[in-house]
Formats: sequence, C-alpha cells, structure tokens
Amino acid sequence: MIDVRNVVHRYAGQSVPALSGISLHVREGSLFGLLGPNGSGKTTLISILTGILRSNEGRVQIGGLEMPAKARAVQQFLSLVPQENAFYPTLTIAENLRFFASVQNIPTTVQPSRIEEALHSTGLSNATGLRADRLSGGMKRRLSIALGLLNRPRLLFLDEPTVGIDPQSRQFLLDAIKRINAGGTTVVYCSHYMEEVEYLCDEVAILDHGRVLKQGALAALLEESQLVAAAVPVRRAGLQELFLSLTKRELRDVPP
Amino acid sequence: MSIVAQLVRKELLLLRRDWHALALLFVMPAFFILVMSLAMRDVFVTGRTSTFGYYLVNEDTTAFAASIADGIGRHRVFRAVPPDLAPQRRQRVMSGTVQFEVTIPLGFTRALPDSVPLRIGVVSSAGVSPPVNELFNAAVREAVTSVYLRARVAALNPQVMNGVGEGDLLQMDRVNALLQEQTLYESAQVARRPTSVQQNVPAWLVFAMFFVALPLSTTWLQERTQGTFTKLRSIGLRPGVLLAGKLVPYVVVNLLQVLLMLAVGVWVVPALGGDALTLGHSVAGLAVVAVATSAAAVSYGLLVANLVATTEQATIVTGATNLLLGALGGVMVPRSIMPEALKQISLVSPMSWGLEGFQDILLRDGGVATVMPRVLALLAFALVALTLAGFRLRRMRTY
Repeated sequence: MIDVRNVVHRYAGQSVPALSGISLHVREGSLFGLLGPNGSGKTTLISILTGILRSNEGRVQIGGLEMPAKARAVQQFLSLVPQENAFYPTLTIAENLRFFASVQNIPTTVQPSRIEEALHSTGLSNATGLRADRLSGGMKRRLSIALGLLNRPRLLFLDEPTVGIDPQSRQFLLDAIKRINAGGTTVVYCSHYMEEVEYLCDEVAILDHGRVLKQGALAALLEESQLVAAAVPVRRAGLQELFLSLTKRELRDVPP
Repeated sequence: MSIVAQLVRKELLLLRRDWHALALLFVMPAFFILVMSLAMRDVFVTGRTSTFGYYLVNEDTTAFAASIADGIGRHRVFRAVPPDLAPQRRQRVMSGTVQFEVTIPLGFTRALPDSVPLRIGVVSSAGVSPPVNELFNAAVREAVTSVYLRARVAALNPQVMNGVGEGDLLQMDRVNALLQEQTLYESAQVARRPTSVQQNVPAWLVFAMFFVALPLSTTWLQERTQGTFTKLRSIGLRPGVLLAGKLVPYVVVNLLQVLLMLAVGVWVVPALGGDALTLGHSVAGLAVVAVATSAAAVSYGLLVANLVATTEQATIVTGATNLLLGALGGVMVPRSIMPEALKQISLVSPMSWGLEGFQDILLRDGGVATVMPRVLALLAFALVALTLAGFRLRRMRTY
C-alpha cells in the first residue's frame, strides 16, 4: 500500500533535515505501527504521505500511485485523523459530519448512509445533535475518527488517537480500529503507548532523527526485545524496552 | 454544491454561533456611528443650539458696550450663558463647562479715545480647540470693529450717521450680503453643508469593515492550531480554495455591516435627534466601493492570519495595525486638516482609499466612474495580500 524510498525533507531555514533518507514499506491490509519519540520525523512523514507536504528528495508511492503527482487521486482513498481534534467545536456532531462529507465530494444521496456508518463505528449514533465542544474527551476523539471514516478509506492514518481519554473510551477505540482494519482498511497507527501498538499492530517501524531505526513484523521485533531484556534482567521484555534501547533515554523536549 | 460554497456555508454557521464576533462586527460599529454622529452633530452644522457657551461680563453700562455685547451674541456658533458670580465663572471655564468668558471693563467706552485704552478680556477654557478659539476671538473682534468703526465715522461726520438702527447708512450687517457661501456637497438634489452623520458614516464604516480582520485571523489561527486545517489539507483542498472559503463569507459579512451602518445613519440617527444620512445618487458606485473595500479588508485579515503564529499575535497585530491604518487613513482625524507631509503618508493606507471612495459617493455626489481609481487600488491591494497569503500558506508547516 505504501512504498517510501530514500525520502529526504528539510524545512526552510532549518539545518537538520526532518527526514534523512527514509525507506519504508507498508503492506496492504496491515495495521502498521509508526513509532518514534517527539521530533523523530513521524509527523513530517505523515504530511508527505497524505499529500500535505512535498518531499525534497526520494520516491513515494501509495496504492501504486506516484506522490505528489497523483496526490489528488490518492487523497480520495486515504484519510488522516490528526492528533488534534479535527472538527469545528461550535458545530454539532451531525453538522461536522455533513460538512466534511460534502467537502470530500461524497454524493449527497450517499452521505446519510456514510454518516450513519461512521457514527455506528464510533458509537456516536445517539449523540448527533450535541455540539462538539460539549463532548467528553473520549467522544471528541471518536468524532475525529468518525470524520476520518466518511470516505471509506483504503488507507487510514491515526495519529495518537487515544491521548487524554478514559480507559473505557480507549478500549472502545482500540477495538473499533481492529474492526476497521478487519474490514480491509490499511491502518497506519502512531502512538507513544507501546502496549497499544503491541495490542493492535502486526508490523512496526521505529523512527528517530529522521531515519527508520527498525522495521518488521511485530512478532519478530518482540522476539528481539527478549534479547534486549535479557541484558537488563530487572526490566520487562516488550516493545517499550526495544524502543528505548534504540532511541535512547534522553528527553526530547526541544523539537529539531 | 461546490466545495467553496460548502466552506462558505460552514463559515456563516460558525459566525452565527459566535456572539462575540457578531457583537464586534455589527453592534460596535453601529453604536460607534450613532454616538459619533450625535456627539459631533453641531461641529458640522451651524445655526443650531451650540455646545460653545460664553459668559458676558459687561461692566461698562454704555450703549456702545451694549452694542459690542449684542454683536458677539449675533454669532450663531456661540451662545451666551446666564451670569454667575466671579468664582463660579472661573471654575466653570476652568472645567470646560463654559468655554469662554468676555469682560468689557468699566470705563471701556470712555477710555476709547485715550492713547492707552482699556481692553476687552477674553478667557478661554484649556480644552477648546485652536480653530474654535480663533473663531471666538474673531467674533469678538468683529463686534468691536463694527461698533468702533460706527463710532469713529459718527465722530468724523455726524451727517453720515443718523443714529444706530434702521436708517444707519453704515450698516455693517450688509457686509454679509457681499459674501455668498457654498459648500460643494449635494444631497437629495439640494446643495447644503454635509452633516456630522454624512461625515462620520464613511469614516467609521471603513474602520469597522477593516475590523473584520480580527475575528477572521483568530478563526483562521484556531483552525490552523486545531486539526481541522490539517484535515482539510489532507482531503486535498488547495490553499486557494481555503482562502476563497474565508474570503467570500467575510465579504458577505462586510456587506451586511455596510447595510446596517447605512441603515443606522438613514433611520436610527434621525430618530434620536440627529441628521439623516443621504445616500447620494449612485447605488452602483456605493456597491462597488463597498465590495472593493471589503475585498481589501478581508484579504488583509487573511494575510495577517498567515503571517502570525498564534491567536494572541493575530489579535495584537490586527488591532494595532487597524488603529494605525485608521489614524493614517483619515478615520480619526480628517485628512484635510493633516499637515501636507502626513497627507502624503496617509495615501499608503488602504483605509484612506476606501474612505475617499465612500466620500466620493456620500459627500461629492460621485458615481462609478468617480470611484474607479480608488476601487482599482483597493482591488490591487486585495490581490497582492491574497497572493502573499497563498504563497505563505503553501510553504507553511501546517501539521
């Protein structure tokens, strides 16, 4: 579904590139975990993959289509759920859904069924008349995801969808994401919560300093983490340990 | 419905629910026009009860002194206030409650032929503007001159004068008949002086229209910092579409502002005792200026929104630059009374182009052809601002 080769991106006025020759492959139908500390280049990579940014160098193909040349076509079948709430706070859930459906050129005859589907998938069917700014944290995240499902995406980017929500909402979202993936949608899942990635993903890439440090099947990476844990017996084996061993323990307070 | 139409619809829905923005855009300018038009009513129209009062202390009891007092009283801009005791007079002039005090000293008439005559004292309040002060002094001087001349002529040749009054051959009032006053302003096909509402509405109209930049830029910034902007970009909406999605609804808002403010001038101000605004003869000219001013104001807001990083910056930048452009553009101080150098500088303010355009229609009876140079300047400004905003948006790190 996604094929990225030697992609470089440097923001204007910045000496250090945000991406320094990244190569990545995401299989169609997979639930792919994209991991990395703050400033590792995840957001820049997502911006390039969704057609918001153009890379300076390298080649990007999505669904067999060349980016950015075919960005318009690609944007028809992908969807991005940003880490911030991607809706208008003073509009109701229904108004937000109708607006985003219409700007995605979803035919008006199809819109009601698409909206109903999105509401059903995210458990918001009974709250359509509520204003978005009066929703709980969990409902807001579910609304963001509902907006991301309107075009029945073949490729869905979820950027930290569970930040700041209660355990019930979180579990509901994780299960919903599994269902969406089971329906055939390729999901790229970004999160700092390793247990979520372990629960959801079948493949993972770990990024830092604009490079891919590790990529592969989750099972293989977890096996590798056993070796890491063996070297430090006090710690529990798992993706968290592998992640920290690769990206080190320095704080990443200052973005590059 | 096209995507731009959907964006416009959404924007109008958002605005409808934002009471603060609506108050800023509609209530504030309407209130402003109302207050300024009523407060400045007498500044632009003579022959009506004036706000400039004066004490007349006539200590000289002669007919000569009484004639001087009478002469000052004939001036329509100033009105004599009832007498007070000296301490109260001084206190009220000091505080600005009464603007002037004129004292004709005892023995003034008797001392006129002396080499060192007594003087008429004129005291003015500190808050009186220099032009008004000059006008009052001129009124006193005119009254003294008139009476003095009459007395001198009578002394030289008593036959010329057959007494003060109807048969006076030296009728100073006839001087007024030698002067024909005209102000080049026509309203409802009647030539007359422009009223305060006629002067104020164009100025505050343009100022209010440019204030649209404030809610516009903060809304844009909010969308940028929330995920909506990223979401719209990932859907494939180009910068031009996003800009058009803001430009169109805010131009609509601007035009509604124009209608509201004109309505206040036409109906509300006269209902409260002020003069009614008259709209000139060119509705098309008025519409063209309104659309061009609006395009400039909204584009300016979009440019600011794409140059700054936070809503706080947007608020400060749009607020401060609006005040600056307004001051330079002749909104707060008419360009006509600015020094020549400042007049030239003021030409850089798009508010001055809009203001001149509205004044062309409302004060100078202009039409579409008259306002076209200013309209083109405003549209060129809008185009440059939009191009820069689009360029910046394309290069912006939005996510």
